Amino acid sequence: MADIAGDEGDFTVKVVTHPRYVDTSKCIACGACTPKCPAKVSNDYNEGLDKRKAIYVRYAQAVPLKYGIDPAKCIKLTKGKCGNCEKQCPTGAVNYEDTETTRDIQVGSVIISAGFKPFDPSAYVQYSYSKYKNVVTALEMERILAASGPWMGHLVRPSDEKEPKKIAWLQCVGSRDVNTCDHPYCSSVCCMYAIKEAAIAKEHSHSGLDAAIFFMDMRTFGKDFEKYYEKAKTSGVRFIRSRIHTITEQPDKSLMIEYATEDGQAKTEVFDMVVLSHGLEVAKSSIELANKLGIELKSTQFVKTTSFAPVSSNRPGVYVCGALAGPKDIPLSVVEASAAACAAAGKLSSARGTLAQTKEVPQAVDVRGEVPKVGVFVCSCGINIASMVDVKAVVDYAKTLPFVEFVENNLFSCSQDTQDKMAQTIKEKGLNRVVVAACTPRTHEPLFQETLQAAGLNKYLFDMANIRNQDSWVHAAEPEKATEKAKDLVRMAVAKVALLQPLNEVKLSVNPAAMVIGGGVAGMNAALELAGQGFTTHLVERDAQLGGNARLLRITAQGEEVQPYLDGLAKKVMDNPLITTHLATSLKDVEGFVGNFKTTLAGPAGETVVEHGGAIIAIGGQEYQPSEYMYGQDPRVMTHLQIDAAMMNGELDAKKVNSAVFIQCVGSREPERPYCSKVCCTHSVESALHLKEHNPDCQVVIIYRDMRTFAERELLYKEARAKGVLFVRYDVNQKPVVKKDGDKLTVTVRDHILGRDLLIDADLVGLASAIVSHKNTELAQMFKVPLDEDGWFLEAHQKLRPVDFATDGVFMAGLAHYPKPLEEAVAQALAAVSRAVTVLSSAEMSLSGTVAFIDQRKCVGCGVCWTVCPYQAITQDDKGLAVVNEALCKGCGTCVASCRSGAPNLRGFTTQDVMAQIEAML
Amino acid sequence: MSENAEFSPRIAAFLCNWCSYGAADLAGVSRLQYPPNIQVIRIPCTGRMSPKFILAAFRKGVDGVWVSG
Amino acid sequence: MAAGKKVTGAVMVVGGGIAGMQAALDLANSGYYVYMVEKGPAIGGVMSQLDKTFPTNDCAM
Repeated sequence: MADIAGDEGDFTVKVVTHPRYVDTSKCIACGACTPKCPAKVSNDYNEGLDKRKAIYVRYAQAVPLKYGIDPAKCIKLTKGKCGNCEKQCPTGAVNYEDTETTRDIQVGSVIISAGFKPFDPSAYVQYSYSKYKNVVTALEMERILAASGPWMGHLVRPSDEKEPKKIAWLQCVGSRDVNTCDHPYCSSVCCMYAIKEAAIAKEHSHSGLDAAIFFMDMRTFGKDFEKYYEKAKTSGVRFIRSRIHTITEQPDKSLMIEYATEDGQAKTEVFDMVVLSHGLEVAKSSIELANKLGIELKSTQFVKTTSFAPVSSNRPGVYVCGALAGPKDIPLSVVEASAAACAAAGKLSSARGTLAQTKEVPQAVDVRGEVPKVGVFVCSCGINIASMVDVKAVVDYAKTLPFVEFVENNLFSCSQDTQDKMAQTIKEKGLNRVVVAACTPRTHEPLFQETLQAAGLNKYLFDMANIRNQDSWVHAAEPEKATEKAKDLVRMAVAKVALLQPLNEVKLSVNPAAMVIGGGVAGMNAALELAGQGFTTHLVERDAQLGGNARLLRITAQGEEVQPYLDGLAKKVMDNPLITTHLATSLKDVEGFVGNFKTTLAGPAGETVVEHGGAIIAIGGQEYQPSEYMYGQDPRVMTHLQIDAAMMNGELDAKKVNSAVFIQCVGSREPERPYCSKVCCTHSVESALHLKEHNPDCQVVIIYRDMRTFAERELLYKEARAKGVLFVRYDVNQKPVVKKDGDKLTVTVRDHILGRDLLIDADLVGLASAIVSHKNTELAQMFKVPLDEDGWFLEAHQKLRPVDFATDGVFMAGLAHYPKPLEEAVAQALAAVSRAVTVLSSAEMSLSGTVAFIDQRKCVGCGVCWTVCPYQAITQDDKGLAVVNEALCKGCGTCVASCRSGAPNLRGFTTQDVMAQIEAML
Repeated sequence: MSENAEFSPRIAAFLCNWCSYGAADLAGVSRLQYPPNIQVIRIPCTGRMSPKFILAAFRKGVDGVWVSG
Repeated sequence: MAAGKKVTGAVMVVGGGIAGMQAALDLANSGYYVYMVEKGPAIGGVMSQLDKTFPTNDCAM
């Protein structure tokens, strides 16, 4: 991306395409070019731990799986000699004359997701990274542990390729100002990935690896992070709270670490290998791009956004997501990505569907009742199949199989001209079933199915024989046996395809209305975005007013005042004609499924039924009511939210507080609540700063277990220390004690640095009390979605589908998912809308044809199938028998396997189909 | 089978489309070599795997059945 | 947006890592044409280099 002109809604972006020197429309990723390439290049995918060639694919699963030439290393391109790859390429894809092209593209919005660059410790002497071979970065460690890495996943150290028995991870490399050259912020992700690497390295090791993590604060603040940390401790990973000052190499290339413990003792320990947990930073190229586009950056160089619009840059129409807008992990990046998609689409909804194309499919011929006429197309894949498998023999063999009407060999079955010819042949010969013996269905099935559709055949009348990836490529030394196996595979495919029936993809109409449950910050944002994109929205709130927990919050981590924002938000919701707000209302019943829900609401005016196509659950959480630290026995002991409220209404005058103590982890990280509430460390620091601002002489002590001011919140922690806020760590086995002595309130805590008890007089004790879930099992059951053991709603996939449920059409946002700061709740709300709009924006949904069906003559209504169905797609009809809801069925076939009487079957994979393959196997 | 011929088991593999079948493809991309006496049947999920398939494969004469997913 | 102003129903996503891919997919599935710009030869970003991911230790690929 070179430049951008125009305004929101109508940008012209100049994009430069660098030459690849390989025509991607011709490259078939056969890999013939690479072995003959003489240029060996450091492999950046494996972090330089091994070599690749100048013509290469970045990794085996790369998308697009097309080769490219590294112009800086190619001998032909740099010296004009060689040309080997061009000679090897069977499709003539190599083009040394390829040039850079520039074009202008018209778009309405731009999303920048340029990501981060891992901090490079090589320039800094203190990390000894360049000096010693066995000091590696965490990303190098990922490659060492990976099966696709330089040592195929065998855990060895680089100097001698021997298995290490002791590995140390050093945290905060490049982060938290550990050294003068480092960044001041916390990189957020390193604590977790270090624990993960340590756990996996222990699994990979044959000799019971000793893994030690040297850290300052363990920041395991996300969903299930704390449990993972505790599990690592139990499995023997050592956690050493310390400061490292020197690493020296021993004669055997081991490394001696000299460090200071918390109480000031100097210690040394020798390890076979040291991993630097390096942080995240913004790449220079991203900074240049931002400057060119006029996008404002923060002092940390991450893109500046606000808590209330967490994916909007200062330039209207340009959005950001992922690590470019602050160090963050994968789930939050994915959340922000969907949020950015929502924000980017929000301003373009009038043009929705104007440029996106949908394919026209001709009406399929009905082949039911016809005798199968199978066409078999055997692909040579250049030489990929043909050099190992006797393709002609396979063709001849296929001609002898039952129902086979036509057989042909193609050089490349997937090429456009062959596709056209194939469609022609299907029509001319009247074929009604097709088998392609070629690469693999996982990449090419959709392509061939399209050809079937183009020829007027139902796309399910097709099967592939995998004679490349699972035959010619893996039996290269035994061509005869590979040929026999290819015949077997074709025979099995023909046997199956002859039985296949055309499948119908049921179309469901979608009700383009949405329901949002919960009227807090997440719920209101979700409702506004949905309405902004033109969808009728019902906002349901249990309380008599909107706002939720945020009504009690003073400021965000970025210092923005919450109340004015909240008032504005509530007003916008009330004024929006597309939003119907149901206050003091709760859900009584939910019927239906994605696209067509029918929900009964119970409110002050009685019951109403609302029909909607999707739902967003944003019911929030609540503050834990402490029973410890004299809470409730003295008005000076207050929770976070009470302090915020008292500061806002003036009951708590910061000028009059002379000594304040904050106690962290009240109710969090305890056996009954084994999670971190994520926001409390920052919250206490904010309150401490507020007190210091109004009364610089005020003594403020924060008593903590680990300071978890993650990401750029670290700057607040730093500021608090600079302003004289004292931080005292306590051990979970030695908790502070709050006492009342006459009228005096005192806090006693063991100081680990001094090794003695501190006694503090306090006129304010702030309790960082946990965030707890509503444990709303009723709502969960109504929408058929799960809760985890702490009562948080459980997402479909913790990394990749963080706001989705396994149940289609239902999404979540905010504290209902897990404790989180306001800007993450907003981002999740937008993300949930984005995900919901993928459903609501289509007038109808096409369901897969591969779904289960029940032969009710065989069903006895025993209930096994609806119990085992992971998608709750099977219900009981009024006769007590099983029926499949095709809208919910994902075609896994578990019901088929579970039934004793054989009533369920799976279209496309019926018992008969699989049995035919088994019968044809030998 | 004669006494001294080396036993070469015939194996039926039922692989889940989403993981193990993909892994078998990847073995090809990586050119990992293995003996050809294994036949793969792709299933949509190991949940689809029925004990009947295992019995049918043994009845057909295979020496081993591998279910992976 | 002011009425009558030209609005283009396409979005450009700059960067093909996990965030860029998710944004592009959501937009394409909601009726917008998406242009993805990636400086490398393949999409996937840094996540493609990770071995396994927390909490299930699933393969990152």
